[in-house]
Amino acid sequence: MQLNPCTKHKLIRDSVRNFAETELAPIAAEIDRTATFPRPVIEKMGRLNYFGLQVPKEFGGAAMDSVSMAIVVEEISRVCAAIGLCVTVHNGVAVYPILQFANPEQMKAYLPKLASGKWIGAFSLTEANAGSDSASVETTAVKKNSDYILNGTKIFVTNGGVCDLALIFALTGFEPGKPQSSVFIVESNYAGFLRGELEDLCGMRANPVSSLFLEDCPVPASNLLGKIGDGMKIGLATLDNGRIGIAAQALGIAQGAFEAAVKYAKERQQFKKPIASLQTIQNYIADMATEIAAARLLLYNACALKDAGAPFGCEASMAKLYCSTVASKVTSLAVQIHGGYGYSKEYDVERYFRDAKVTEIYEGTSEIQRLVIARTVLSQWIF
Amino acid sequence: MLKLVVCIKQIPRVTELPWDETSGTLRRDLAPGMMNPACKHALEAALQVKEHYKAKITVITMGPPAAEEVLREALAMGADEAILICDRLLSGSDTFATSMVLKEAITKKCPKFDLILCGAYTADSETAQVGPQLAEELDLPAAAYVEKLEIDGKTLRVRRLVDNFRETLEMEFPALVTVSMENYKPRYASLAGLGKAFDINNFTVLNAEDLGLTASSIKTKGSRTKVRKVFLRKAQKGNVLLQGAASVVINEFLDKYQRKIGTVIGKSIEENKHDDEK
Repeated sequence: MQLNPCTKHKLIRDSVRNFAETELAPIAAEIDRTATFPRPVIEKMGRLNYFGLQVPKEFGGAAMDSVSMAIVVEEISRVCAAIGLCVTVHNGVAVYPILQFANPEQMKAYLPKLASGKWIGAFSLTEANAGSDSASVETTAVKKNSDYILNGTKIFVTNGGVCDLALIFALTGFEPGKPQSSVFIVESNYAGFLRGELEDLCGMRANPVSSLFLEDCPVPASNLLGKIGDGMKIGLATLDNGRIGIAAQALGIAQGAFEAAVKYAKERQQFKKPIASLQTIQNYIADMATEIAAARLLLYNACALKDAGAPFGCEASMAKLYCSTVASKVTSLAVQIHGGYGYSKEYDVERYFRDAKVTEIYEGTSEIQRLVIARTVLSQWIF
Repeated sequence: MLKLVVCIKQIPRVTELPWDETSGTLRRDLAPGMMNPACKHALEAALQVKEHYKAKITVITMGPPAAEEVLREALAMGADEAILICDRLLSGSDTFATSMVLKEAITKKCPKFDLILCGAYTADSETAQVGPQLAEELDLPAAAYVEKLEIDGKTLRVRRLVDNFRETLEMEFPALVTVSMENYKPRYASLAGLGKAFDINNFTVLNAEDLGLTASSIKTKGSRTKVRKVFLRKAQKGNVLLQGAASVVINEFLDKYQRKIGTVIGKSIEENKHDDEK
C-alpha cells in the first residue's frame, strides 16, 4: 500500500479543490441557509464526471479507483458537505449497486444517464420502523403480470427531493422464519411514485432529503436488481461501499473546519498576541491535526483494500466510525477556537459543526459500525 | 494542421511564502504547486484555437520533477503532448536562462511550430519577461498581454490591452504571444480527463544534455541576474484628518500633498524623485 499520494491522486485533489473553492465556496453558506439544491453547479459537476466517479468509460464515467473517489468526496465536503453528500450517495449507494448487481440491459439503460449527472440517484432502505434493523422493511412488492406493484413509505431519503431514480428495498415474500427483501430500480416518473416535503434538517441543508411514497407504483419486472431475495445481500454490500463515502465526507468536513480554525487562531489577537501562540489552543490544533491524519489513513486503507478486491467491510466501518467521530470532535473544537464568532452563522465553522453530527448517524450509526467491527473481530480475526 | 506550443510554469499555491534569507529565493518547497494562472489562460486560448481549427498542442515546462503535475493537468484539459525539462543544472535559472532553455527545447522537439503561447506573467515572480525573451531568442514577431486571438490563414490577428487602450495587431506565423487574464477563462479538467492524462504516452522528459547544454555553456550563457538582497519593505501608513470648510480643506490638502500625488496628476517621475531627495 502506498502511503504517499501519487501524482495522479495529488492532481485529482488539486483539481477538485480548485473547482470546489471556485464554484461551491461562494454559495455554500447561502444554499445552507435557504436549503437550496444548486442545479447550475450540479450540472457543471455532471459535465466534469462527478456523478460517474467509478463508472466505466464506455458508459461515460471517470473509471476512478476508490482512493480517487474518496479524495473527490473529501474535497467537495471540505467546502460544502451537503453537495459532498449528494455526490457520495449518488456514486456510492445508487450507482455502485447498479455497477455490481445490474444486468447488461439495466447498465446500458441507466449508467449513461447517472454518470452524466443528468439523472440523480437515491438509495432507499430506511422506513419509519426499519433503520439499523434493515430486515424490518414494510414496503411490499407484489408481482402482477409483467410488473411488480410497490406500496410503502420510505423516509430520510438523501437526494429524495430531486432524484430521478431510486433503488427501493421492498418485501417480496418470506423465507422460512424471515422476511425476504428485493431491490427495484424505480424511476421517479413511474405512476404512484410521490415525494414528501423536504425535511427541515439541522445540517446538510442544501441536500433535498425527503420521504418517498409508493402508492400502487408499477415497476417493470425487468427493473429488479439482482434476483428476488437479494435485498439483504445488495444492501450490505452497498452499505460497505457507502461507508467509505461517508467516511470521506466526514473527513472533508473535519479538514475544512480544521483549516478554518488554524487560520482564525493565527489571526485572532487576545492578550496582544495571536491565540495560536497560547498552549491551550496549540494542544487543540495538535490533536485535530493528528486525528485527521489518522482518520485519513484508515479511510485510504479501506479504499486500497476495496481496489485490491479484498474484503473491506470491517475496515470501511472502522473508517466511517473514526472519521465521523473525528469530524464531530474537530468541528466542535473549531467552534471553540472561534469563541463566540464560531457560534455565529457569519463563520463557516458553525455550518461545519451542524453538518458533522449526521455523519455519526446515517449509513449506519456509530453503534452499528461498532457492531459490524466487533462481529468481524470476534468471528474472523485469528491472532 | 496548426502546431501550437504552450509554455507553462508551476508556481506555489499560496500568496505569501517565506524566502530563504541566504539565497534570496522563495521557499517553494513549502507550498503545493499549481499551474500559473496566466499560463492556464494561454493554454485555454490554445484549446479554443484547437476547437476551431485542426491543431496539435504541445505543452512545455521547465521545473523540478513535481512540475509533471501541471503538464498532466494540461493534458487533462486537452493538450496533446507534454515535455518536461528537468535538470539540477538548470535550477535557479533566471528569465534569460529559462528562455534560452525553452528555445533549445522548442527548436529540437517542435521545430515546425506555428504559434507559441505563454502566460503574460507569473504570479510568483511577475517579471513578464520569459515570453518576449523567447521571441527574441527565436527571432519571432511577438505580442504581449494578448486578450484575443483570431487566425486568418497564415495571419494572426491579436487584440491586446496596454496602458488603458486596446490595439489590434497582425503578424505572420510563426509567432509568439503572451496571453493576459482578461479572457480565455480556463476550463476545468474533467475527472475522466485527469485519468486519461496519465494514460497518454506523449510525455517526454528532457535534461540539459538532451538539449545540448553543458555545465559550462549554462554557466557562460546562463542566469545573468543575481539576487543581492531580499527585504520586506514595511508599509508606513498614517491617517491624517483634515477638518473645516471644503475650500479650506482642499487648499490645505493641496498645499501638503500636491507633490505626493504628482504622478497621478501628470508630473514626471524624475520630478518626483527630485522632490523626494529634497
